[in-house]
Amino acid sequence: MRSLAYLDAMSGSMVVQAVVAGVAGIAVFFKLFWRRLTAPFRGRRAAQVEMAESDER
Amino acid sequence: MPFAVEPGSFRDPAGSVFYLDGRVLRGFDPTGWADFEALAATRFWQRATERGELVKTTAVELATLPEATTKLTGIAGVVEHERIPVVSYPFEWTFSMLRAAALCHLDLLLAGLAEGFTMKDGYAYNLQFRGARPVFIDVGSFTRVQPGEPWAGYRQFCQTMLYPLLLQAHRGVRFQPFLRGAVQGITPQDARGLLRGAGRRAGRRAGVLKHVVLHQAIDARMSGARASDTRKELAAAGFSAELQVATVKAIRKLVAKLSWSEAGKPSTWSDYQRTSTYTDAERERKEAFVERSLAAAAPLGICADLGGNDGTYARIAQRHASYVVTADADAVTVDRLWQRLATEGNERILPLVVDLTDPSPGLGWRGTERGPLFERLRPDAVLALALVHHLAISGNVPLPALVDWWHGLGGRLVVEFVDPKDPMADRLLANKPAGMHGDYRREVFERLLEQRFEVLDREELPSGTRMLYHAVPR
Repeated sequence: MRSLAYLDAMSGSMVVQAVVAGVAGIAVFFKLFWRRLTAPFRGRRAAQVEMAESDER
Repeated sequence: MPFAVEPGSFRDPAGSVFYLDGRVLRGFDPTGWADFEALAATRFWQRATERGELVKTTAVELATLPEATTKLTGIAGVVEHERIPVVSYPFEWTFSMLRAAALCHLDLLLAGLAEGFTMKDGYAYNLQFRGARPVFIDVGSFTRVQPGEPWAGYRQFCQTMLYPLLLQAHRGVRFQPFLRGAVQGITPQDARGLLRGAGRRAGRRAGVLKHVVLHQAIDARMSGARASDTRKELAAAGFSAELQVATVKAIRKLVAKLSWSEAGKPSTWSDYQRTSTYTDAERERKEAFVERSLAAAAPLGICADLGGNDGTYARIAQRHASYVVTADADAVTVDRLWQRLATEGNERILPLVVDLTDPSPGLGWRGTERGPLFERLRPDAVLALALVHHLAISGNVPLPALVDWWHGLGGRLVVEFVDPKDPMADRLLANKPAGMHGDYRREVFERLLEQRFEVLDREELPSGTRMLYHAVPR
């Protein structure tokens, strides 16, 4: 994924926007933190596949 | 051939603003140019330009520009913008002006999102005022939306627009000193401290909780995270372009609800025209003098009404000058004036909050990114009515320094001198030790004025304690 942003959008400022967006966004917010929490248990290979998948989006 | 690069236009490498023979031009690199060409083909861009919400912009043939200009910036395309008569900055605006600018920004972003464009930033300085109307000037902000990406300018919007508005709406604290104190505005960390407890009242809770408390908490927790990884994680968790729209709509709803309670209450100067010591006859004579002086010099370019109060004289000036800036330190009075002008759709009177004894200095990178007020405002005519006694007596500015200042502004001058015996001046003198302002006298003022200016016309008002002068610099 290509980003043209010249500003450092700052991770926290990006993530909080999910909460601002309302119900659907809050689901994204929790999913993101759930994935962060469970990442170590899913193993490195799974994480790499995920990254590759999101790169293709 | 005067060529100059805009010192405030360097942060985004995709494009930068420069001036050539008085024209305002913007050069784009190949990426920025591709975005611009796509943008210019959209319906919202056409519509917003027609309505005046976006600065008028036309493409320029590169071949018509001097080679040095295009080579210097290594650009793929150039556009020309309409000139904003006087550039102003957010810390010179009132609460209602900043709110109107924020809504203009959000509306453009929403219109853009509907056609696949987002903005790279959320900076209050990307807006200007054409008279009382906000106008978005940074067409280089628009870029095509990337799936899964939130609004990159959200943090900047919070820092330079949302937090200042929340601070004034919820705390009654003027935002101007904070914005003037830092060109990047109020950080989430500082906002949390300044707004602590502000979310306790129902109706305020959600806004403060999300944009301030949660924003700061997540920001602190994720301070070590890489933005590029976070983008991927957000996309993987399902953040969509629709969510970006929902975010911006929610922010817009919050901003539209904010209000400043002081705006409805009387301030020191808000009822000046009604409660001042002028009689009707005196006011008529004064208005006629101002009218006559400006008419003699018309057509004028820019007129600065210093200490402009409710805009009575700015409206007279508008008949003889193409653009009028009225500057006053009283934010309540200026806010009300802006609201009236905005309702009228006035695009030729710009009201600003300015303490003339402490006008905006140069700010940002090397102190040149955002220029001082009196470099941006070069008036052809200056009105200084019922002002001298405030600056000289309350502000302790020596009379020679005042006259020098007006002379340095370069334009003609319509000035009022209020005698020490006048009730208004007497009230100010009573706050000072006896004899401290011994040289505050009409004959001293006249001598100083005549040294630097040629006095074309003068008139004593019926009270005998107020003198008006129309003068041109020597």
